[in-house]
Amino acid sequence: MSVSANDNAAKVSVRGFLAKYSVLIAFAAIVIFFSVASPTFLTPANLFNVLVNNVVMLAIVALGLTIVISSGGIDLSVGVSVDMASMVFVMLLAAGYSGVVGVAGGLGAALIVGILNAILITRLNISPFLATLGVLFIGQSTQQLATSGGQPIYLTSGYAADQFNAIARTALLGVPTPVIVLIVLAVAVHLLLHRSVFGRYVQAMGAQPGVAWYSGIRVPRELSMVHVLCALLAGVTGILLSATVKSYVPLSGNAFLLDAIGATFIGTTLSRERKPSVIGTLLGVLLLAIVKNGLLLVGWNFYWQQVGIGVLVFLVLAASFGLRRAAH
Amino acid sequence: MSATVLHTEVGVSDEKQAAAKSAGRRFGALVVRLGAIAAFAAIMAYFVIFAPGFTSTFNLINVVEQSAILGVLAYGMTAVIIGGGSDVTEGGIDLSIAANMGLCAAVYATLLSMGYGDLLSVLAAIAVGMAVGALNALAVVGLGILPLLATLAVLNVAAGMELTLTQNTVVGASSPLLGVLVSGSFLGVSALAWALIVFSAIMIVVVHGTSFGLRLYAVGGHPEAARAAGLSVPFYVSFTYVLSGFCAAVASILTVSRLSASTPGSGELLLSVLAAALLGTVFSRRFVPTMGGTLLSVLFIGLLANGFQLLNVSSYWVNGVQGALILLVVAITSFARGSEGSR
Repeated sequence: MSVSANDNAAKVSVRGFLAKYSVLIAFAAIVIFFSVASPTFLTPANLFNVLVNNVVMLAIVALGLTIVISSGGIDLSVGVSVDMASMVFVMLLAAGYSGVVGVAGGLGAALIVGILNAILITRLNISPFLATLGVLFIGQSTQQLATSGGQPIYLTSGYAADQFNAIARTALLGVPTPVIVLIVLAVAVHLLLHRSVFGRYVQAMGAQPGVAWYSGIRVPRELSMVHVLCALLAGVTGILLSATVKSYVPLSGNAFLLDAIGATFIGTTLSRERKPSVIGTLLGVLLLAIVKNGLLLVGWNFYWQQVGIGVLVFLVLAASFGLRRAAH
Repeated sequence: MSATVLHTEVGVSDEKQAAAKSAGRRFGALVVRLGAIAAFAAIMAYFVIFAPGFTSTFNLINVVEQSAILGVLAYGMTAVIIGGGSDVTEGGIDLSIAANMGLCAAVYATLLSMGYGDLLSVLAAIAVGMAVGALNALAVVGLGILPLLATLAVLNVAAGMELTLTQNTVVGASSPLLGVLVSGSFLGVSALAWALIVFSAIMIVVVHGTSFGLRLYAVGGHPEAARAAGLSVPFYVSFTYVLSGFCAAVASILTVSRLSASTPGSGELLLSVLAAALLGTVFSRRFVPTMGGTLLSVLFIGLLANGFQLLNVSSYWVNGVQGALILLVVAITSFARGSEGSR
């Protein structure tokens, strides 16, 4: 009797352990698998390439979504913020303005998207899902109208290209500027979300919206801030994207949306309360980036990569949710 | 949750006033709802007067034809939202439905081009669609993954498999069934339009005319109460995801017939499908998703695009106006709900 009870307890704790660390276990397994399968995977050059090309931009968008999802909301319009920042930035440079003006203009455009979301959600009481869905539609139309149906703008030479290179091709102590931007933003968002009063309000709104309201948190103000921050972070990605590819391609920001949501929620599986966290999100982004890169090195084409990513996210979610359910 | 509790307590403490207020609120909600419908009617009236040929039978049938694919998909989405509850982060949602349609279309067109007959190809497409739906059901019901996340992962799998199958190319297809769907007509109404009419009739009868439909609403609205009443919540929720997969398969056959091919990029339909299913709630008295409401909003979106086309307005405006309308309708709805105190 007592033996079987112990046995059950042991089983439960093993399941609990697996549920809690399923992402880390999956992560380790995947790194080991690709290291064995591809000789180039674990080389510094390749890991560096993954960091710069696959991680930075997605991670910054995902940081913004981490804040929004912590507050109990969602932002489907992050792609619009990316695109609008990218569009205004490139258009200003094309018109001969300096890089500083371009960056300020780009971030301003993202800010407008954030403010629009904030007004819709806090003043008009529209749920974040629907408000940002509406803004996504409007943003797509705006871009099509501004670019006569989606014509890309390329600025591959001359003054503008120098400005792009000053952002994307420079380095400080051997660390590329975009990576430094990511590190600074990740630390800032971490402090904001997990160490500040604002962060505690955000977590409270996410956990118990009603209680947050009745305990005197000015929900509309904090929620507006959340959506503005998310849009601004997405705007930073828009500028890095344009500087890297030296162009503005309409409607390209949406590609970040699903991956960023996936990364944030993969990150939530790390915490017992399934709360989003900056570290969890970064780990989620890294996991997705490594799998994409690894599948490429092993010789899977782009199409199979998408299947692979989908299956992986599915398995991680299944392990996390399923084992947790079994543990309770 | 706790907000609702507090609201109720306030209501009990001052019953008379609350009763008077609730009558006023009900009136306010009615005005708001009629206002939203009046806005729809005003836009239609504008098209009728200013868009040449808008009301011609030919044009209206054309709109119904164009709406068939969106409509069939939106029914699947509506069923999932009814059965899973309409909370947007925790409730029922199927993000994989459009990608699933793309996969089914690819399977159908590929099998036809390999020389298999209509019967086998259609069955295969339906089997694939329902299998993807079953995978969603397994993830949501069996493993307890949030629908938003589970169907997001499945979206990637389905979209990736479509790309792998077609290598991102157009797969041309022709068959007797597709011939009938393209050029067949009955009583002056084309086959594609009939497909929407028949499918709509079935969905409306099943969801709003049977005890099965009533139970589906019970499961989505109050899962605990439904469980206490002896309903198998997992069965009903699973059913909606498999039904959604079935709808994706049916829509895939319609889209292959319309384009005479399976083409990449069907995932873009997802947002319109969501918009149609969510806009439809404004046509219901209690702001819940209904099949009839979904049909009306699908036709409305179709008429909107069509009216713009006839007025020679750039099609780039359509998305934006659609987005603005969603915001308008939802703002009005949430205003009405807020004033009903059920928020």
